[in-house]
Amino acid sequence: MLTTPPAKTLGTLLCLGLLLAATVSSLIFGHIPVSLAMLINSLTDYDPGSLEHLVIHSERFSRTVTSVVVGAGLAIAGALMQTLTRNPLASPGILGINAGAMFFVVVGATLFSLTSPSQLVWAAFTGAATAAVLVYFLGQEAGRGVSPVRTVLAGVAVTALFVSFAQGLLILNQDRFESILFWLAGSVSGRDLDAIAPLLPLFGGALILALLLSRQLNLLGLDDEVIRGLGLRVGQVRLLIGLVVIVLAGTSVAMAGLIGFVGLIVPHMARGLFGTDHRWLLPLSAIIGATLLLAADTLARLVIPPQEIPVGVMTALLGTPLFLHLARHVRKVS
Amino acid sequence: MHRYASFLLIVTCLLQSPAAIAAITTTPVTTVEHALGEATIAGRPDRVVSLYQGATDTAVALGINPIGVVESWTEKPMYQYLREDLQGVTYLGLETQPDLERIAWLSPDLIVGARNRHRTIYPLLERIAPTVIPGNVYDFKALLTMMAKATGRTARGEELLTRWQERVADFRTRIRQKLGEQWPQEVAILSFRADHARIYYGGFARSVLDELGFTAPASHRQESWGIKLTSQESIPAMDAEAVFIFMEDDPAVQRTFNTWSSHPLWKNLKAVRQNDVYQVDPVTWNMGAGIIAANRMLDELYQHYDLHQPERQGCPRC
Amino acid sequence: MSRTLILRSRKDRWSIKLNTRVLVVTGALAVLLAVSSVLALTSGSHPTSFTNVLATLVAPNQSELALIILEIRLPRILMAILVGAALGSAGLILQGLVRNPLASPDVIGITSGASAAAVLFLWLGGVTGTSLLLAPVAMGGAFVVALGITALAWQKGISPARLVLVGVGLAAGLTAVTTLLLVLSPDATAMNAYIWLTGSLYASQWHDVTALAPWLMACWPLALIKLRHLDAQSMGEDMALGLGSALQGHRLLFLMLAVALAGSAVAYAGAVGFIGLIAPHMARRLVNSGHTGLLPIAALIGALILLYADWVGRVAFIPRDLPAGIFVAGIGAPFFVYLLYRLRRELG
Repeated sequence: MLTTPPAKTLGTLLCLGLLLAATVSSLIFGHIPVSLAMLINSLTDYDPGSLEHLVIHSERFSRTVTSVVVGAGLAIAGALMQTLTRNPLASPGILGINAGAMFFVVVGATLFSLTSPSQLVWAAFTGAATAAVLVYFLGQEAGRGVSPVRTVLAGVAVTALFVSFAQGLLILNQDRFESILFWLAGSVSGRDLDAIAPLLPLFGGALILALLLSRQLNLLGLDDEVIRGLGLRVGQVRLLIGLVVIVLAGTSVAMAGLIGFVGLIVPHMARGLFGTDHRWLLPLSAIIGATLLLAADTLARLVIPPQEIPVGVMTALLGTPLFLHLARHVRKVS
Repeated sequence: MHRYASFLLIVTCLLQSPAAIAAITTTPVTTVEHALGEATIAGRPDRVVSLYQGATDTAVALGINPIGVVESWTEKPMYQYLREDLQGVTYLGLETQPDLERIAWLSPDLIVGARNRHRTIYPLLERIAPTVIPGNVYDFKALLTMMAKATGRTARGEELLTRWQERVADFRTRIRQKLGEQWPQEVAILSFRADHARIYYGGFARSVLDELGFTAPASHRQESWGIKLTSQESIPAMDAEAVFIFMEDDPAVQRTFNTWSSHPLWKNLKAVRQNDVYQVDPVTWNMGAGIIAANRMLDELYQHYDLHQPERQGCPRC
Repeated sequence: MSRTLILRSRKDRWSIKLNTRVLVVTGALAVLLAVSSVLALTSGSHPTSFTNVLATLVAPNQSELALIILEIRLPRILMAILVGAALGSAGLILQGLVRNPLASPDVIGITSGASAAAVLFLWLGGVTGTSLLLAPVAMGGAFVVALGITALAWQKGISPARLVLVGVGLAAGLTAVTTLLLVLSPDATAMNAYIWLTGSLYASQWHDVTALAPWLMACWPLALIKLRHLDAQSMGEDMALGLGSALQGHRLLFLMLAVALAGSAVAYAGAVGFIGLIAPHMARRLVNSGHTGLLPIAALIGALILLYADWVGRVAFIPRDLPAGIFVAGIGAPFFVYLLYRLRRELG
């Protein structure tokens, strides 16, 4: 673990370097071979007639942007959840947000015949928000606010609820099934940046809010009494953080479907390297999260061309061993 | 099933007398070997139940009015091209899970199922009535032969097959004349869904096109059924000299198609540049899977290539 | 102190202490199950009268009606009962083992293991689709996952908390594998798999009943005899050791029992969820007893839930046949949320 500021700065630069490398890889690799020289060429001297330049500017660019945004969003949301619930295993997938989004999308697609991406994006976002609110309230302990254990269990319950209802709807409407199968599996490709654009300001605002609250977040790990003694309005901070989590996780799910493990694993990696100070933790989680998702997406494209493995599956395959390693070494799940 | 048992009883009794031999030859028993075993069918079954799309098509072609069929996938409850012949039929639910009680209650003489769907219920079906299961859902000619034999309509089946072969030969001649040097033409089969596109490497349409002499691009000559593509970057994988596309009449599908077809990579495709992109009927190309669908598919091809069709005398369903 | 009935063998070699309330409730549930089963036999896409059903059961003949009742409906109802009972028992054992009222075969990853194995099998089978090998394969998957969970959770013994964590992790990973296979397969396989994943008893036949029953007949007596050790464990590890309970050995045994029961049930009926979760809770609300007494009750309740869910699936959308799993979830999921609300005090 890096403890001194110079070490941390060096570490940060290294991570940024990795992010750059991942971004470049994401732009280069794919079904149509593109060399580094071509990439640079397309940025400096764009030629609309060239196939490679076209591919970079349309497909690859939107994928890369989506991966960076979603990766960062999920990672920060995960870090915030873990702090808020004081549970190292909290993440958007486990806390029911993914399931809520899935359910609302399925309802939209089957019962309301919503088909356009922008409509489904809002359905996903609403679903994520609903699930998060439900979990938040179910996770309350009478008179003592958010209970870490109960929040996780509430997440499991809400996930079970939404997933089973969604499954039921899908079986009743078998013809709609395959039109959302890919979304359910998680995908950053072909994202219509226009459909996502309305969500980006929300996303940015939430991100800034989270970074501003870093100092307060550091204190949330302490006992409630101590925090209040230090003059922090616990309830308010928790509420704000909750809202930030909903926006970040909700927009991520709305954009890219169900991608798990990023929100779970990345904060641990960041914490392992940079400690629990949120002023470092949050930005670095974002950087590492973006890098991870870019890498997963690039790999997903290279395994069985021209078909692609859904990126959500890729992150799960990469993330499960890491999670199991974590689970073995968790001392106590209170 | 119990009809067969009583028949057997009668035969054993009659075997006591020399007149028995004459009696046996007038009630034929057919044995049909199929993918899951052997079916023994007495006489000429008229009450036929079809448990998949291809069998429904073939039954109608053979002149049988099935008493029970499974629902179609689109144009519910039955495709337009078969609907008239299937007035008053009992619907048995979806192909994936047909209603077993209804099948039993209909008291059929013959059941036709598909291996990939009905393997698990085959033991039950066998108890209800003699059941035949063709091995491959796409091989409509094998299906035709099997059903013709099972229903005792072999003459009709052969007639249909002969007519088909005549048409195929005619098409091959005419298209070679029309396209000359460009024949055989390399053709890709694509489909668009709400959130992805597909290339078909095998299946009903591909097998018909192969029989007609069309070739497939090198990358499409594979064992699997096809692939699903989610990224527009893979558009070049679709390339061929001509492209046939089928898709549902659905706004989401249409939107996906519009997005993909306005992509620069699409405009770069050989077929697009030569203006050889054809939209075809999804029902006949992908779902019917029987001899009638094959004939209708051939009709469409004649039309697209602007070839003159010979007169088709006196054969309503071929 | 509830009234008990004590049975002793001659010369006092063994004795059984039976809680009378347990006996009464078990009896009542068994009667309810029997009556419901017979009523379920009368409904279907071809309604049959009660007298016809009884007549066919008593004197079977070769008619279509007999075929429908004896070959189509009866095995299916029996399967619903067996599978539901197995899942209910497995849930009870797991909740006792993990000492967490929200544990169940789905949470632990057994169901996901069976699902992943089944979907993989369906995918590899390709055109051949569903087959008679599906059930053993799914059971194998459940066992592999259980072994994996044990191995991963084993650090000088199995801590219940770690068991849950590892189970959750594996379940998530396996779900990803299942999703991948669904995405790559052609439509027929994907829909077959998805229906299986929701839990369906369609096309249950006598050979399924005769294949599942022996597993259950082997597990239940063993469970009944050994379950008192779970009561000992719930009093704390030291207490249990003091009472002569071989702690780790028993924990392993209970895990394997739960896996055998749940794995075989899921293998035949697909990934039905929730029964393992809610049946034990309902049992506890009816009777206040140790695990041994709770076992038959949880089993009977599980059987009743699945019987009713499958009934609805069969008759509510004729001629469509909907997987029972949907209706189980319809009751189960809200119950789960309600349970969470009710148990908030104990879970803090």
